[in-house]
Amino acid sequence: MEQRWEESDDICKNSHSCLVIIYNLFYWEVDMKIAISSSGTSLDSNVDPRFGRCQYYIIYDTNTDSFEYVDNESRQAMGGAGIQASQFLVNKNIEAVISGNIGPNSYRVLSAASIKIYSGVTGTVKDAVEKFKKDELKGTSAPDVQSHFGAGSGMGRGGRL
Amino acid sequence: MKQLTIISGKGGTGKTTVASNFIKLARDHVAVDCDVDAANLHILLNPDIKKKEEFIGGPVAEVTGECINCGKCEEACRFDAISNSETDIEIDSVRCEGCGVCEYVCPVNAIELKSGRQGDYYISESKFCTLVHARLNPGAENSGLLVAKIRNIAEDTADKNSKELIIIDGAPGIGCPVIASLNGVDYALIVTEPTISGISDFIKVFEVTKFFNIKTFVCINKYDINLDNTNKISDFCNKNKIELIGKVPYDDKVSVYLSNKKFIIDDSSSEAGREITGMWKAFSSYIYPG
Amino acid sequence: MYNLILEQGLEWEEEVGCKLIISVASGKGGTGKTTIATNLALSAGYCQLMDYDVEAPNASFFLNPDIKHVKKVTIKHPYFLKETGADFSKCAEFCNYNAVAVVKSEVVFFPELCHGCGGCLLVGPEGAVREKDVIVGEVEKGYADPGINFFKGNLKPGSMRTVSIQSELDKSLEKSGLVIIDCPPGNACSMVFAVKDSDYSILVTEPTPYGLNDLLISIEVLKNMNIPYGVIINRDGIGNDEVENYCKRNNIKILLKIPNDKEIAKFYSRGETLIEYDKSWKSKFESILKEIEKEIGR
Repeated sequence: MEQRWEESDDICKNSHSCLVIIYNLFYWEVDMKIAISSSGTSLDSNVDPRFGRCQYYIIYDTNTDSFEYVDNESRQAMGGAGIQASQFLVNKNIEAVISGNIGPNSYRVLSAASIKIYSGVTGTVKDAVEKFKKDELKGTSAPDVQSHFGAGSGMGRGGRL
Repeated sequence: MKQLTIISGKGGTGKTTVASNFIKLARDHVAVDCDVDAANLHILLNPDIKKKEEFIGGPVAEVTGECINCGKCEEACRFDAISNSETDIEIDSVRCEGCGVCEYVCPVNAIELKSGRQGDYYISESKFCTLVHARLNPGAENSGLLVAKIRNIAEDTADKNSKELIIIDGAPGIGCPVIASLNGVDYALIVTEPTISGISDFIKVFEVTKFFNIKTFVCINKYDINLDNTNKISDFCNKNKIELIGKVPYDDKVSVYLSNKKFIIDDSSSEAGREITGMWKAFSSYIYPG
Repeated sequence: MYNLILEQGLEWEEEVGCKLIISVASGKGGTGKTTIATNLALSAGYCQLMDYDVEAPNASFFLNPDIKHVKKVTIKHPYFLKETGADFSKCAEFCNYNAVAVVKSEVVFFPELCHGCGGCLLVGPEGAVREKDVIVGEVEKGYADPGINFFKGNLKPGSMRTVSIQSELDKSLEKSGLVIIDCPPGNACSMVFAVKDSDYSILVTEPTPYGLNDLLISIEVLKNMNIPYGVIINRDGIGNDEVENYCKRNNIKILLKIPNDKEIAKFYSRGETLIEYDKSWKSKFESILKEIEKEIGR
């Protein structure tokens, strides 16, 4: 990304902002850190259907195509697992999350931080990342459950892919 | 993978009876006993304990340093957990909610929040499925936390072994452990009885499942001891779009079977047993498609 | 023998007599706590009956009290003056219940998880955190024939503040005369809270392995709290004699055995008491009270 910035500066300062926009349109979806809830520690692991209570998060850097896994230490919390997990991921500079079911508590925290949310995702972590890169995942605009209350994330599987 | 929680609002309506017989009938499932301070499923199912772990509960405040008796902690505590005598302060662990305010306000750092062992949980193998259960220490707090813990374990187990269903035996009431039993489940089965107490508690627990937007089923146990009340429950279900999937008749044999650690569905002459089997068939169509 | 002077309605007059607080508890749900508590109250005549099973209070169905007063129970929730632009991260860090989250300078509050501890006000940026009262339930006060001062706690469904309601009931606990406490089921904190002030506890159970299992845990709770206890076996006949044998072996007094009877179940379903079903029960419950008084020396 930085290299492209330098090129654009060299080419034309006046159309700098134009090029920034063009670059962003093409590249911003891809160049970011994303978190995927995972049942295991590798890319072949399945996407964990639970977001706040999953076992691990795989944090994938689409810029460098590298990843790390982290234990989800928030999973034991009674009502606030998703809240804690969301804050944790925001602090790791995540810009998008991918999971099976994302409950209203997590949804509120992630939205407040303007994190893009993709739920209803199944398959392996690797599949999910590929789909994300190809922009085949549909963003979630509402929590998987319409609940005023929050501690439940009950109905259905989302089913969006 | 789907999750079903069996609850009642009122205790003693037959949660464990229904849960245990469902456990026998189901396949590809994991069971969890979330009535952690009065767990009963393991008595009936008699599983082999494969793993036992300590449950560390939430923190409780303790005086660990030199108290100067300034009374700031007592003033700040919103839960009446601290009493200041002439010589010392006393923290009531029953009332303490582990918020940390006293620890924060103490000018000499004489108070610390400490977590301790509040019980144990077990992963066991029964004849029918893995059973995750627990024993909360008598009088301990954080039953909700322990429920969340064993539910987590059940979900991990089901996930790892590709199980289709988790059957959760819930606790009575509508408080923390019940809410923790309902957190994130797909279905709730309310087992009620046609008594004034039963109806009142059924309506309350339905308010909780409604709040969580959980698809709710109802079973009326001992329905024939009061047909008027049974009709009232039935009408309520119709009005509120709750599916009534069973009406089990009063049958002393149910208790006898339970006491002998047997399953009433195995008694072909028992109408109660047949009704429970019918309920399972109705419910399982949601789990095992086709 | 104690002696009470009671005025109808809410106010207690000066009492002549000793305090006797009897809780009725059970590890297992549905064994008959409310049945015992309400029948005891009716047989005593003059007493205070308190329904501490605030998640599912049922005593009122059997006593039909005339409710005179309802008090809302509240806790204080924080609210954050976001327009000040203050940083609330200390509140999020402090909260042990995950009720406050701060992400990218946005504060998100979760009321259902908040215990109302006041921490946010203490640790948060000065002047930027305020508090407001939130209703978590209520306490009802009333009067029931023949002389029962009735108190009932009611938790708002969806709230987890059972103890807040029970705490409010504590404030009405009389320091003299007979008090009967109908406890919630179980052996965890809400049961402990309900029995903590008892002079004596009646454990109601059923004669099954489940009843016995839960009874043993309840006994441990009471022993740890130094509360003397006795047992009532309800629905006698549906199971086996394990409970009775255990009590006999361990010198635990069996105060009463109620037989399993479908007719009793029908009466119960309509909200009718044992005493209404059969007047001879009154003397049985009076005997229980006398025995308890004798045992603890009142």
